[in-house]
Amino acid sequence: MILNKRKIISSIALFICFLTACWGIFWLSFILVDVIRHGLSGINPDLFLKDPAPPGEEGGGLRNAFVGHFLITLFATLIGVPIGILGGTFLAEYGRKYNISKIISTLADIMVSVPAIIIGAFIYAIIVKPFGHFSGWAGAIALGIIMIPTVVRTTENMLSLIPWTLREAAFALGAPYYKVIIQVVYRGAATGILTGIILAIARVTGEAAPLLFTAFNNNYFSLNMSQPIASLTVTIFQYAMGPYEEWHAQAWGAALIITLFILFATITGRLLIKRRYKE
Amino acid sequence: MQKQRGKLKDLIFLSITAVSAFAVIAISIGIFLVLFKESLPSMNKFGFEGFIFSTEWDPVKEIFGATPALIGTLITSFFSLILATPIAIGIAIFITEIAPNFLKSIIGTAIELLAAIPSIIYGMWGLFTLAPIMANDIEPFLQSTIGKLPLIGKLFEGTPLGVDLFTASIILSIMIIPFTASIARDSFNLTPSVLKESAYAIGATKWEVVKDIVLPYSKLGVLGGIGLSLGRALGETMAVAFVLGNLNQIPKSLLDPAATVTVKLANEFTEADKDIYLSSLYYLALLLFLMSFTILALAKIFLLKAERK
Repeated sequence: MILNKRKIISSIALFICFLTACWGIFWLSFILVDVIRHGLSGINPDLFLKDPAPPGEEGGGLRNAFVGHFLITLFATLIGVPIGILGGTFLAEYGRKYNISKIISTLADIMVSVPAIIIGAFIYAIIVKPFGHFSGWAGAIALGIIMIPTVVRTTENMLSLIPWTLREAAFALGAPYYKVIIQVVYRGAATGILTGIILAIARVTGEAAPLLFTAFNNNYFSLNMSQPIASLTVTIFQYAMGPYEEWHAQAWGAALIITLFILFATITGRLLIKRRYKE
Repeated sequence: MQKQRGKLKDLIFLSITAVSAFAVIAISIGIFLVLFKESLPSMNKFGFEGFIFSTEWDPVKEIFGATPALIGTLITSFFSLILATPIAIGIAIFITEIAPNFLKSIIGTAIELLAAIPSIIYGMWGLFTLAPIMANDIEPFLQSTIGKLPLIGKLFEGTPLGVDLFTASIILSIMIIPFTASIARDSFNLTPSVLKESAYAIGATKWEVVKDIVLPYSKLGVLGGIGLSLGRALGETMAVAFVLGNLNQIPKSLLDPAATVTVKLANEFTEADKDIYLSSLYYLALLLFLMSFTILALAKIFLLKAERK
């Protein structure tokens, strides 16, 4: 009898755990289905090919925001990825015995989760204010700074996975350490590092908060990174909070594109890493 | 000759990597110093307690107080944490102990995709889809059931608008589930199977093994995961900005619109036309940075301790 009671309690508890998993899946599908449903109605060729129409008027698109977003993300990657990879290299290779490396590594872990809007405020003070105006560069640097800790940590982890004997074999041939790192260690860890980069790009692509007061926004098409430049995320924020139906539809369209890109990048990253480090 | 050139190149490469690594320290300290410097005018004018314990936020009279924003941040963060933690732990238990192998990776990936969805999408979806549902169905329902209870009922007073603390907390809770869940899952997996097997051998049920062996063993890791989620919830901006209404008041119930530190920053930063206004916003940003940094650091210490065990 007692055994039965315990078994029943166990089943109920495990069933509740099953329900919590369903709860998570439920929200994921709810959000995705909703974004796809609304997003599809907002997507048309004009969205990609035309610049915004004056407020309240029909038509127009978000070409400026797509291009601006691409530029900001591209330059953010060019800033964040090299610094991140080199920093991670120091932690895993040259500096692996020093305490300072452990401190940097822990600090990077914390900085990964520090609110993105704080980075925006930081960049506003050191770049936007001295120059006197918002600029695409400020936005790219803000996103680049957000990428650094993520890339540092993944690079460090991936390099540490390379067996030490591999390096010793290269040392034995008389290769200096930098050659060992570049030609042996990097090559072995390439997939892992690439995954880290993909995931970091996926993360900053969806950021809006740090762009609000760095890259700001621009209703016109612009390739000039030293002026305010439009981004998809800030445009979504502005359009979704705005009063026009037309704006809402375009915001949904942009939201769908961003979501698909990020999910695609995230899943690709996970598959890559799984294939490479399958036991 | 050749060897010396190799040594020189090695030294150069070493210096470049070292500088990049120290960039992390430089950025962290730089953020603190810059936020501190920018908030000095506001600090001098209002002081610490005068800023934190003042409810007035009046750009015209140039009086700024942080209480409503801080309270909004604390309520949304803790309420979402209360909602998310049991669910995240349940998911972790399901993935590690119950699910068959093929489901493990599918559900694991699905939950991690929840973390990949950008916060602006959460916010937009919250505003257009969730808020109307909350206002029309869920909040009136809660008012007519839980709302009738003494004490707790107070939390659900007011007109259900959908744009309020309750909706914001629900969205936040969905967003932070993956952080706790994935760390809890990793900690559960660290439990030595010998311990679990000995419990099974003396006749424990699966739930008893989870409750009495796995959970106590991975306590530190789970706490670290909860801390990480809390740090995320404190700093979440866009998702909350859509559904909180940015109203500078001390909320009386969960169905009131409110403001958080992040929402204030997002909405007012570009509008701040006076130096003291901007400085006060920086003061808020500094407080947020210190809060989230402390909590994230504590979470990290827990996780490091859990790893070392």
